[in-house]
Amino acid sequence: MPPKVIVRDLRKRYGGVEAARGVSFEIQAGEIFGLLGANGAGKTTTLECMLGLREPDSGTIEVCGFDARKDPREVKQRVGAALQSTALQDKLTPREALALFGTLYRQSVPPQELITRFGLQEKADAPFEGLSGGQRQRLALALAFVNRPELVFLDEPTTGLDPQSRRELHAEILRMKAEGHTVLLTTHYLEEAELLCDRIAIIHQGRVVATGTPRELIGQSSALQTVTLTTTSAIDAAALAGLTGVQDLACEGPVVRFRVRDAGRVLQEIGALLESSRAELVELKVRKATLEDVFIALTGRPPENPEQAAAS
Amino acid sequence: MNAFLAQAAATLRLYGRSRMALIYSYLFPVLFLVAFWVLYRYDRVPLLRHMGELLTVSVLGGTCFGLPTSLVAERERGIWRRYRLAPVGAARLVGGTLAARYVIALSAGLLQLGLAMAIGMTAPEHPLDLFVAYTAVTFAFLGLGLVIAAMADTVPAVQALGQCLFLPMLIIGGVAVPLVSLPDWAQHLSAFFPGRYAVEALQEAVNGGGLVESQFSLMALLIIGLSALVAGAALFRWDAQQKFALRSGKSWIAVALAGWVVVGVLAEWSDRIFVPAEAAEPAAVESLAVATPPPPTSPVMAVAGSTEPAVVPSLNPTPGLEPDPVPATTALPGTWQALTLAQIEEEIYFTNLPPDEGVVAPISPPDETPPPDVQPWLTEIERRLPDWEPAQESDRVQRLRNILYVAAVPDSLQIAPLENYIPRVVFSYIETLAPRDELIRMLAWIALNPGDGDLVAVSTLGEVVGFPVNDPDPDGVRERTALYAVKLLGRLMGRIPE
Repeated sequence: MPPKVIVRDLRKRYGGVEAARGVSFEIQAGEIFGLLGANGAGKTTTLECMLGLREPDSGTIEVCGFDARKDPREVKQRVGAALQSTALQDKLTPREALALFGTLYRQSVPPQELITRFGLQEKADAPFEGLSGGQRQRLALALAFVNRPELVFLDEPTTGLDPQSRRELHAEILRMKAEGHTVLLTTHYLEEAELLCDRIAIIHQGRVVATGTPRELIGQSSALQTVTLTTTSAIDAAALAGLTGVQDLACEGPVVRFRVRDAGRVLQEIGALLESSRAELVELKVRKATLEDVFIALTGRPPENPEQAAAS
Repeated sequence: MNAFLAQAAATLRLYGRSRMALIYSYLFPVLFLVAFWVLYRYDRVPLLRHMGELLTVSVLGGTCFGLPTSLVAERERGIWRRYRLAPVGAARLVGGTLAARYVIALSAGLLQLGLAMAIGMTAPEHPLDLFVAYTAVTFAFLGLGLVIAAMADTVPAVQALGQCLFLPMLIIGGVAVPLVSLPDWAQHLSAFFPGRYAVEALQEAVNGGGLVESQFSLMALLIIGLSALVAGAALFRWDAQQKFALRSGKSWIAVALAGWVVVGVLAEWSDRIFVPAEAAEPAAVESLAVATPPPPTSPVMAVAGSTEPAVVPSLNPTPGLEPDPVPATTALPGTWQALTLAQIEEEIYFTNLPPDEGVVAPISPPDETPPPDVQPWLTEIERRLPDWEPAQESDRVQRLRNILYVAAVPDSLQIAPLENYIPRVVFSYIETLAPRDELIRMLAWIALNPGDGDLVAVSTLGEVVGFPVNDPDPDGVRERTALYAVKLLGRLMGRIPE
């Protein structure tokens, strides 16, 4: 099956700032594809160019077999999108909104079907202004499905939601995949990407710096593993520092924490060190790199939490 | 249902749910109506002569504020950004919004019309023309609303830009302040504003000649509306992040303005913009005073140029009088009795007279009831006029002139509002004095010989009008006497419709 989305060398400049500097990736049919990046990395620009909201300076975008730059309307017919914040007229009800947006497409799903599917029965005829954040987000998703899309774009869908709503939305996104939809998801939450995405592209300073499954990314990453060692008595710090490849060593009495690239080799050396120090092992923990470690290794900083960023 | 109709229907439905929107669209027009009713409470037929202004003000409010406010507010909230994700062009969605706005404006107009008729206004003379004119007016102003929406980044900016259009249109554009009360520069400026054409087209449909009489206004509205619509569409923004200042293609604004300029230039070029102060007052005073020969464009100029030098000597033959350097345009007879209708038609122009509602030679409309504090004065003048000695003068032309002074002197002294109503009393009285045929000749004679006769009667005029008359400017009195003579003459000859 051909890829649902092909983006090649996408470039977009705003004044003196090049927001996209040759972005390239492919999305296969039926997968959940995550676009990860810090604020300003270029993921919104990429998404907006794909949705026809912005005209790229150069590059090719093919969505569902159509050139998004030449046939943006054909692409829009096949794509459903929920933007970061979907606002509607205060007095418009979900049922009316779904009916109105349904008229904008060649084919549309009856509003009642979407109301039931996205759990909007109670608020179907309430004005938009009376909907909670979670209900608004569900309505945004329902609107994204109004045209029976082949491909669904979700831009930061869980930002601002409470944990319960977020879990519900995660379930909903997995259900989309189960139904055969292809999903493009942008998010700041790395655990969310790890949980939901089949494949991920990390975008940094307008370029895709890594693509793969979460497991592949972590496996291929040069990110270090963390070792936590607890012993009956303290071990000489100088001896610990002499272990192969140890970095960021921190000793707090009998508890020692450090990071290392090759944990297997260091573990052997620790056995010898314990013996020579006559200390007994109480606990040994080795944690593999997480997606966040991979992200930091690739971009040099953690992804901003948009809620914290907004609060500060 | 297609996108256009769905958007129009949704806009209307949401409109019905918004209290503020309803207040703006329906309560304000009703308040305007009450204000106009109070302002013009002495009109015999309530509001009839002001429906053009009233309807224009209401359409302006709904289109130059209502439409862009809601469009910009929706854009700021990201609603139009959401629409943009759909495979539908702006034309159908904005078109649907405009269609809904038109329906709202139409219903507000019908409400005003209905209320006006409920309080006694007669039905519009050309209802179908009124519908067409109202549609053209709404079209023109919706286009301007769209341009405002494109230019304004925020709702407060809409208010500022809207006021920039609304206030000048109201004050110097002929919408709220009658054009005749404005200085000449403002009258010329108003030719470039759509407001005056809106008022003209609507008013002609209500109690004038209908669309036949307002073809230029209709064309002006369509030009202004179309150019604004083109510019508004080209400048349309889906997204609040697309700031106007940073946007390319701002020169489209010039297209919208070009519509105004084209209309203004066409109006000036076709000599549609009549400025009484220019056309009558200075020219008349000057020509009466120094008898310079002016081109025959205004009635008073024709009066002065053709008569004073040539006819005055023949009327009062003075031996030894130097022959006048300015030749008469036509050889006129020596007495009023010998004047023919053909000569009168040739010598006197009934177009380009200062308007009845202006400040020079005003005449109250026939359907206007004088205010209660003015009516007793008028009754008194009516009672005293026949007994006034100069009104019994043996020279019939001088007698008529004396009676015309009763209207001309309060006008030259600017005795408002009495000066507007006295001419009606004077005209009614004059019409009882002689057969129509004789009156026509005598009035024409007076108009053609404004420098003739004496002003002795002016000194005792206070006996008739009931207020002291202190040395009015003789030239001003003669000029206004001639103007009133022409205005009455035009009515008697059927050349000036009431």
